[in-house]
Amino acid sequence: MGDMTTTAETAATATVVGFDQVTKAYGDVRAVDGLTLALHPGETVALLGPNGAGKSTTLDLLLGLKHADSGTVSVFGTSPREAIVAGRVGAMLQSGGLMEEVTVAELVRLACDLHPRRYKAADVMARAGISQIADRKVNKLSGGQAQRVRFALATAGDSDLIVLDEPTTGMDVSARQAFWATMREQADQGRTVLFATHYLEEADAIADRVLVLHRGRLLADGTAAEIKAKAGARRISFDLEGVIDETALNGLPFLTAVDVSGQTVRIQSSDADATVHALYGLGVYPRNLEVAGLGLEQAFVAITEAEEAKQS
Amino acid sequence: MNSLIKLELARALRNRKFLFFSVLYPSILFLIIAGKADGTTEVGGSGLTLPTYMMVSMASFGALTAVLMGNSERIAKERESGWVRQLRLTPLPGRGYVLAKTASAAVVSLPSIVVVFAVAAAVKHVRLDAWQWLALTGAIWAGSLVFAALGVAIGYLATGDAVRPITMIVYFGLSMLGGLWMPATSFPRWLQDIAEWLPTHAYAALGQAIEQSQAPHGRDIALLVVFFALFAGGAAWLYRKDTLKA
Repeated sequence: MGDMTTTAETAATATVVGFDQVTKAYGDVRAVDGLTLALHPGETVALLGPNGAGKSTTLDLLLGLKHADSGTVSVFGTSPREAIVAGRVGAMLQSGGLMEEVTVAELVRLACDLHPRRYKAADVMARAGISQIADRKVNKLSGGQAQRVRFALATAGDSDLIVLDEPTTGMDVSARQAFWATMREQADQGRTVLFATHYLEEADAIADRVLVLHRGRLLADGTAAEIKAKAGARRISFDLEGVIDETALNGLPFLTAVDVSGQTVRIQSSDADATVHALYGLGVYPRNLEVAGLGLEQAFVAITEAEEAKQS
Repeated sequence: MNSLIKLELARALRNRKFLFFSVLYPSILFLIIAGKADGTTEVGGSGLTLPTYMMVSMASFGALTAVLMGNSERIAKERESGWVRQLRLTPLPGRGYVLAKTASAAVVSLPSIVVVFAVAAAVKHVRLDAWQWLALTGAIWAGSLVFAALGVAIGYLATGDAVRPITMIVYFGLSMLGGLWMPATSFPRWLQDIAEWLPTHAYAALGQAIEQSQAPHGRDIALLVVFFALFAGGAAWLYRKDTLKA
């Protein structure tokens, strides 16, 4: 009994993916710049960043499609290639091409056959929601359908880690929701899921951990809630009459940003309760007071702007 | 690995346009070149009649066409589309990919050889012993694998618009210098010295030896084996290190 607990604990703290000071440059541009991170079993992790942040390069390094200039990348304690050969990794690339002139079923069957811990092709197609297009030629699929086929290829076997590079590109809203529902099933089976996205609401809604990548470096690492808090979690807006004393407003506690335009004041605060309390303490009478949560998108913009301000 | 080979074979057979072209084209070329010659015209130094000589040349040339043209462009396209990257995320070893591509090319090259033989026998009354027909088919077919592997390698070296011209240069260069169109004996000495080391020269010599009721020369076989290892190994290596992005 005691032994089992120890084993379970070891498994829970083991590193699924480890990046240690990884750098990858293209010419003068450092796509990945001294990146260090660790993913743990069972986590659903979003890799978030604008285009050019280094997301795809990071995933390519993780999957062994590219090799780091310096630093080490390990997957389940081995090289990415060894982990793939062992069938521990399933991956879906951004706009990854598909073999043409074959049917969806033929392609999924191929992926299943190639996987050391294969599932039945029929089951894989059912889970990916592509059973009804099984006989269709791969080159005759819509963008969303092709993404589902790619997802089927990534989940053709019992992999411990699923890597998805911007998986919902080309999907409409309902297809996207259906897709994430499918993907949650994968996560619920105890797999580690890592996905890159610039759809910030996806990271917010799906991931239990968010890594914010900017210029190849890790800007933030935490839950979506923590990321929001880091950037100034709440937006407070109100109107004031008469001359507005900006100096007094700037002295409010927990402020991260103040914007006054006309009689309207917009404030970002990491502790809205305390800020509002102090606002009344200034002896002003704010009208139309609104306190709203910042979406992850604004949080993200705030973090990157702060980082850019620091650099320049 | 077997499932990829099976699927590649099915794909090759479904591509009817390419199949039709690569199967008929060498036969038509044979009829044009051997058209006026009768069974008594001898090809200098070989002791073979022109139709017999050209039959083997065109069967070899046709097989070369089928495997080289089919593979290189297709693979370059598959790399650009990103399919090869996706495939590299599976445990499939590099040699599996090269093998599958080579096998699918071989399916197309076999009928092109047989059709040239049939046309030569029916129209130009080429007569050989039964063992010669069988040995020729086997030798030319097996030899074509060397160029199938070369096609895979070219598909990996070149991208986009460059694939077709590069394939053409390699294809015509190897065919002409190797003596597939005309006997290499008509070349100047220095060119013959170079041509002797080409895989196409060894390839053509294989068939000619059988036609002359001889066993193929060990040197030719060895040369082909070395080239096959070189092309296939190079292709597998390129598959593994390919970093082309979709």
